[in-house]
Amino acid sequence: MRRTLRRALVVTAVAALAAAGCGGSTSPKAGGSRGGSGSGPITIGSIHPLTGGLAGDGELMDDAVKLAVDDINQAGGIRALGGRTLQVRSADSQGKPEIGQSEAQRLVQSGAVALVGTYQSDVTLNVSAVAERSRVPLVIDVAVADQILAKGYKYTFRIQPDASSMGRTGAQQLAAIAKDKGVPVDRVAYLHESSDFGTSVFTAFRAEAGKQGIGEVTEISYNVANFTDATTQVAQAVAAHPDVIVATGYYADSLLIARTIASVRPAGVRAVMGIANGAFDNDQFPLDARTAGEGYLSTNYHFDATDSEVVAIRDRFRQKYGQPMRTAAVLSYQAVRVIAQALERAGSTDPAKVRDAIAGSTTDRPLLAFAGPIRFDDTGQNTNAVPITMQVLSGQVRQVYPQQFAEAPVRFPAPPRR
Amino acid sequence: MTPVPPDDGAPAASPAEAAARPLPRRAPAAAVAVAAPAAAVLLVVAVGGRDPHLVAQAVVTGLLLGGVYGLVSLGLTLIFGVLDIVNFAQGALLTLAMFVTYVLVSRAGLPVYLATAVTVPVLFAVGWLVQYTMLNRLMSRGLENQLLLTLGLSLLVENALLLGFGGQPRSVPEPVHGALRVAGAVAPWTRVVAFCGAVVVAALLYGLLRRTRLGAAIRAVAANAEGAALVGVDVRRVYALTFGLGTACVGVAGGLVLPFLTLVPTTGEQFTILAFVIVVLGGLGSVGGALLGGLVIGLVQQVGGLYLAGDGSLLLVFAVFVLVLFVRPQGLFGSRG
Repeated sequence: MRRTLRRALVVTAVAALAAAGCGGSTSPKAGGSRGGSGSGPITIGSIHPLTGGLAGDGELMDDAVKLAVDDINQAGGIRALGGRTLQVRSADSQGKPEIGQSEAQRLVQSGAVALVGTYQSDVTLNVSAVAERSRVPLVIDVAVADQILAKGYKYTFRIQPDASSMGRTGAQQLAAIAKDKGVPVDRVAYLHESSDFGTSVFTAFRAEAGKQGIGEVTEISYNVANFTDATTQVAQAVAAHPDVIVATGYYADSLLIARTIASVRPAGVRAVMGIANGAFDNDQFPLDARTAGEGYLSTNYHFDATDSEVVAIRDRFRQKYGQPMRTAAVLSYQAVRVIAQALERAGSTDPAKVRDAIAGSTTDRPLLAFAGPIRFDDTGQNTNAVPITMQVLSGQVRQVYPQQFAEAPVRFPAPPRR
Repeated sequence: MTPVPPDDGAPAASPAEAAARPLPRRAPAAAVAVAAPAAAVLLVVAVGGRDPHLVAQAVVTGLLLGGVYGLVSLGLTLIFGVLDIVNFAQGALLTLAMFVTYVLVSRAGLPVYLATAVTVPVLFAVGWLVQYTMLNRLMSRGLENQLLLTLGLSLLVENALLLGFGGQPRSVPEPVHGALRVAGAVAPWTRVVAFCGAVVVAALLYGLLRRTRLGAAIRAVAANAEGAALVGVDVRRVYALTFGLGTACVGVAGGLVLPFLTLVPTTGEQFTILAFVIVVLGGLGSVGGALLGGLVIGLVQQVGGLYLAGDGSLLLVFAVFVLVLFVRPQGLFGSRG
């Protein structure tokens, strides 16, 4: 008994040690003048998960920041500052809020004029607090939770749509597509991961669904930290006899759900749709899911595949880094552009002036399929950020709705295949 | 509270009895471990107010998933029971096994189950080397030394894989398509294969420990390393072989779960905590306990998940864990020590 106790104590101690050991060092490198004074490169800080379970997307986003900075430097740097070039300092959040926070402090202390990040809502919340306190602007590339901008912070800006906008637009576009095709959608079974991300998108969807004539929404949530079998959850969804199954989650769990739906072969389900889904509009998804993913719809923010400039950037990214440039990475690229444009406008590397320039500027021709130019409201939210709907057609992710961004006509109903 | 955990209402060996028989027949515990979940499931069907088809599905899924949990826990319980090492690297070694299999499938074009057969000796060698070159030096030192080493090893493996393969999700095509249908419930073939693998590995391991000279040596070292050394057992060799066997079990697990899981350098991690829970629940060092513990946890998670969705199912798992430890601190199949 005593030995068991001793063992338990040791295990706990080591676990605590491990957590503390990963706490990262915050050696305050008294970083000289902000962004380098007068000459020399201007520093932009990039915080993303470069290790841990989300390292895949984190790497792509960090690479996209570097590509954007290279492109701007090659085009002559910041003209308003005599052609000064940009440089990137990358930081690894490890996907943990407290690490993201200390890394943000480190970047600010080493002279970053602005921060780009961070892919996760909880990490972003902490980083935005650092940005506010240090008076250094943070441009969020990806992080969906509504509450990030609900704190009244002046130094945080977000390019992508927030969670409630995603859920709401998802319900609207589903209803619109169904109406166009004359197929009634009355019942929806909604699978979502149980953290803030999935729950907030789901809540917004349910609120809007009633207004769109979707009578019944069945909720099934799952914890992504331990989700290696989706059969019971999918069976619960199917038991509600839904017209459409909707899913909000990350890549691995969503792929698992798609494969499970294929093996359950639900009768009567007219379509499967992702909203803010990490898999269904990812180019890798049709390759991994094979025929199981065919016809899947996905309402999400997305790069504008109909824009030739975006196509060119994505081609270069692929050549340089050997990976397809996903939407998250395009958002990182866009975030650097917004900052560079603000530097031009401010004519200064003072972060407070850069902040004012971001708040007051408009970025035309966004790289994302948005309703209009990037323009931030008082909370820092891009008012023209909207999701669009994609569909897997013949093994390719294509934009299908709304019409102005459509690459191919939408197929609906699109019952899941084996 | 839906799933009723095994309680002390059933006859259990008295402490004196258990002490007198270090390796007793544990029929009562087995009966409890089988009967209690069965009773809980019946209770759920009778008064749970859920569609029986859904319950059937949850039971089938729970058993299949529990088999996978058991498979991952088998190696851990062997290492825990014989070497007294808390192997924090078990999850990382599972990921390593999946990557080895993945490379064999995607680069060498082997079918996934054939690749698994190659992965097992590779993982055995890895485990043998880890024990022989690193852990054996620390066996006489405090528990925390070995613990820190395995923790460091897990970080090393995980980040080496990240460095080598990047963080992009990978997967292999399903080797067998479709699903078995049992009582209206769906059981995908790939998971049925993994479940059968768990049972076969448990049986082989049990046979090895009970019926072979090596097994006798392992049990002797587990009972008393000094005594075993005195009668001529090469303890360091047995340690290395045991750790190798433990990682070979993970090798089987890695190959069998690869067809239905997405592979990133942290995939194995989500099994680590549950594997510890299962090993302690089943009783340290008990092969049958690990398998049954896995099934119990799988059932609790899936059937409980019908009522407490999202984070609730994990909460139930830990509630059952605490309850079992409360009434039976040595675990379902453990002997009091």
